Amino acid sequence: MNSTMFNTRTALTPSLIAIVGFLTVCPVVMLVFGSFSEGIGAFGKFTLEKYIQSYTDPEFAKIIINTIIFTIGSAFVATLLALFLAYLNTRTNIPFKFLFRIISIIPMMIPHILFSVSWVLLLNPSNGLINLLLRQVLNLQNSPFNIYSLRGMILVEGLLDLPIAYLILAPAMAAFDVSLEESSKVSGASNLRTLTRVTLPVLRPAILASFILVIVRSLASFAVPSIVGMPGRIYVLSTHIYRIIATGFAADFGMAAAVGMSALAASISLIYLYRYLTSESEKYVTISSRGYRPALIELKNAKYPLFGIVALLSFVLIVLPVLVLFYTSLVPYSMVPSAKAFSMMSWKHWLEVLSDPISLLSLKNSVFLGVVGATLGVILSIFVSYVIVKVRTRAAGLLESLSFLSFSFPGIVIGVGFMWFFVRTPLYATIWSLLIGYIATYLPYGIRPLSSAFIQIHSHLEESSRVCGGGTLYTLRRIVIPLLIPGIVSGWILMATMFVRELTLSVVLSRPGTEVLAVQILRFAEDGLWGTLSALGIMMIFISTTLVVVASLIGMKLTKVEETSQ
Amino acid sequence: MEIRIKSVSKDFFSESKRIKALANVDLTIPANQIFTLLGPSGCGKTTLLRCIVGLETPDSGEIAIGEEIVYSKEKNIFVPPEKRGLSMVFQTYAIWPHMTVFDNVAYPLQIRKEPKEEIRSKVEKTLQFVQLEGFENRPATKLSGGQQQRVALARALIPEPKVILFDEPLSNLDAKLREETRKELRSFLTELKITAVYVTHDRIEALSLSDTIAVMKDGRIVDIGTPKNIYFDSDHRFVADFIGQANLIDGKVMATEDSYTIVDSSIGTIACQKSPTTSVGNAVTICIRPEFIRVVEGDTSEGINIFLGRVESLLFVGDAYEGEIIIADTRLIIRIEPTTIVEEGDEIALSLDPDHCFVLSK
Repeated sequence: MNSTMFNTRTALTPSLIAIVGFLTVCPVVMLVFGSFSEGIGAFGKFTLEKYIQSYTDPEFAKIIINTIIFTIGSAFVATLLALFLAYLNTRTNIPFKFLFRIISIIPMMIPHILFSVSWVLLLNPSNGLINLLLRQVLNLQNSPFNIYSLRGMILVEGLLDLPIAYLILAPAMAAFDVSLEESSKVSGASNLRTLTRVTLPVLRPAILASFILVIVRSLASFAVPSIVGMPGRIYVLSTHIYRIIATGFAADFGMAAAVGMSALAASISLIYLYRYLTSESEKYVTISSRGYRPALIELKNAKYPLFGIVALLSFVLIVLPVLVLFYTSLVPYSMVPSAKAFSMMSWKHWLEVLSDPISLLSLKNSVFLGVVGATLGVILSIFVSYVIVKVRTRAAGLLESLSFLSFSFPGIVIGVGFMWFFVRTPLYATIWSLLIGYIATYLPYGIRPLSSAFIQIHSHLEESSRVCGGGTLYTLRRIVIPLLIPGIVSGWILMATMFVRELTLSVVLSRPGTEVLAVQILRFAEDGLWGTLSALGIMMIFISTTLVVVASLIGMKLTKVEETSQ
Repeated sequence: MEIRIKSVSKDFFSESKRIKALANVDLTIPANQIFTLLGPSGCGKTTLLRCIVGLETPDSGEIAIGEEIVYSKEKNIFVPPEKRGLSMVFQTYAIWPHMTVFDNVAYPLQIRKEPKEEIRSKVEKTLQFVQLEGFENRPATKLSGGQQQRVALARALIPEPKVILFDEPLSNLDAKLREETRKELRSFLTELKITAVYVTHDRIEALSLSDTIAVMKDGRIVDIGTPKNIYFDSDHRFVADFIGQANLIDGKVMATEDSYTIVDSSIGTIACQKSPTTSVGNAVTICIRPEFIRVVEGDTSEGINIFLGRVESLLFVGDAYEGEIIIADTRLIIRIEPTTIVEEGDEIALSLDPDHCFVLSK
């Protein structure tokens, strides 16, 4: 309220708009310029050459069709599974409901690239564990499954995006006005008929929103298309871009930019559609009555079979990937678990990783990016969220739109845009280029928890401390910061885990000397070094988990101190 | 402590429009009273309170609390809220969710760095006073609305301030609890003998709680007086209408007699309480509250202010009927004893108590 505070506030918003604007708009602008130029070295001349070259490629139609089948297929798998789980959890008396929380959160902790690898290890046609097992047991000549197919890609991507679809559908289903269903039942409709005629139509905006979000994510996905798709020579947009810049003799960043433009345009339009749909579904929710618990549907005989499916899903999503990786890191080559396999187990692959200088460098780089990147990212998020929530001028609204823009950017495309920028700066091929790219791309993950923390701090909480006699600093120390800590901790955790596993941006920006974990894992996969890969992968999971645990402990300690200091 | 406010103004800007929140307010709040600022939302009452406590800075004028000037445009004085030594209970209670009840209440003393033992005993005493003994170690968020309200009150009382400010503290409670808390608050405050400035838009709250009420409208103080003054004798149409249900009838002064002012109105000639400020020929508004209109049974030829009307509607509200009566196209709201036998459509006779027919000049 006093004048000095007002001055810093007015200076804060424009500088944040400049920083965030640079982070999100710069790569897009560079991408656009790049797509109209002759190559990464030459910038000046305007030409359509790269567009003509990339969009007249006879293979391009095939890639678009693959992309459409892959994204829509994954959206179907994820949304249907999520609907099934959300319905069981919110509306039936299925036992062990805590499993649903685990399903919706834990898979996010397992890096997508490792999840994809574990399915390749299980289902690849030459020595996938399940294939080997079935061949032995059923005495088959050929492997029954081939993961290196569009169907395989859809299965893995669908499972990976299941948690996000669930997190959209479960709250919508829980907030649903049950009297709509009850009146259907009073009119004589059965449970099933009520479900198809009332429940699902009312939930349509939420279902569509989840569907579209999964399409956006699978469009941006690089882990599954590269690990599962490329060995079967099935290319989608993201791997096509990757092929243009990272394989073959001459990396063509102009063509990559031209192709990237269509992925970016598709993604941005889908995100707008998604935003529209979520506001629609919120409209439905606000109409509904207060949250009294609906009568749960008695599953009777179907109870345990249905629970079996849920248990199997959680096993497949959480336990199996880690188990397969750990097993593979110990055995010398792919073999079905047996007494012989166990007798041959050793730490050989682990020692290989620990003596491989590039693996060690990538470990070091990823930990640095996780810790330093998340810290800087959270600091920026604190200021941005403060302006968005507390200042609320028109400029603050602009800042909000800017900071959520990158949510719709496919990582590999934005990586190409950043490449066009960094090549012209001394930051090129340094770890700082990765750091800037990471923060730009994942800024929404820091801002979201922090803005909810700021929303929680009602201005009366600060004002009442001032009236009680607490000065500005005292109020900051005892009221504002303690209330922010939970938001800071979860923002930091989200960013740090994202950064440690980051793949899509890194495959473009990482150069010799700035290798990171996920890129190194991709290299091992391309070379078929599954054992070494698995050992490094387990280390990656271990690092993420350690960061999460340490951050939570620090957060708990900081909030505890406040409660006992009297 | 007395609070003196001298020609305080404050404008707000909203979407490039200038809104006068306070327009030259002059007000003296006497010491050791419960003083209420009453008015509809947007009338500036909360802004005035926030200017007193220091959370808003006025654009001009002067505010003094006791002997100390806490704000003066002319003398360039602005004492920040933490230096004013006041207490405030917020509409949202502003209970800090990350602290226990003890820490919430002890906070003002912790700032002053009082010895721990003293803090402990004072907190215990204050919690006892607001009937929350034994709640020290509860997390503040685990309390009900009424309990949170009392924690906020305890926190305001513990530094033993000379002035407590209340910003609609009961508006988040449900109806029954609000009534109980209102009574409690009244007894707490009378016992303590401190100056309390209380902001509300609820007229019952204002009438039952206050020693003095100031009614505000559009950033100005319209009327000041005791609850009875304000309810019965206010000279302002706005106040009469806002403070309770009122029938407002337009008319013109016909004559001034010894005991009554006679007004010619749309329902006929009405004898009103004598109004010294009006003279014959003035256009006036007559205000009569529903409870002073009586149904006359039997002989209607005697007495003054008797009018015939038709019952338009009857609403049973428990302790009475609320009736709408049409007299010569004018609609009057009245309260009818539940034992009276009337039905919709009946023709009835009403008597308006002349001592409670007020002539409003403004």
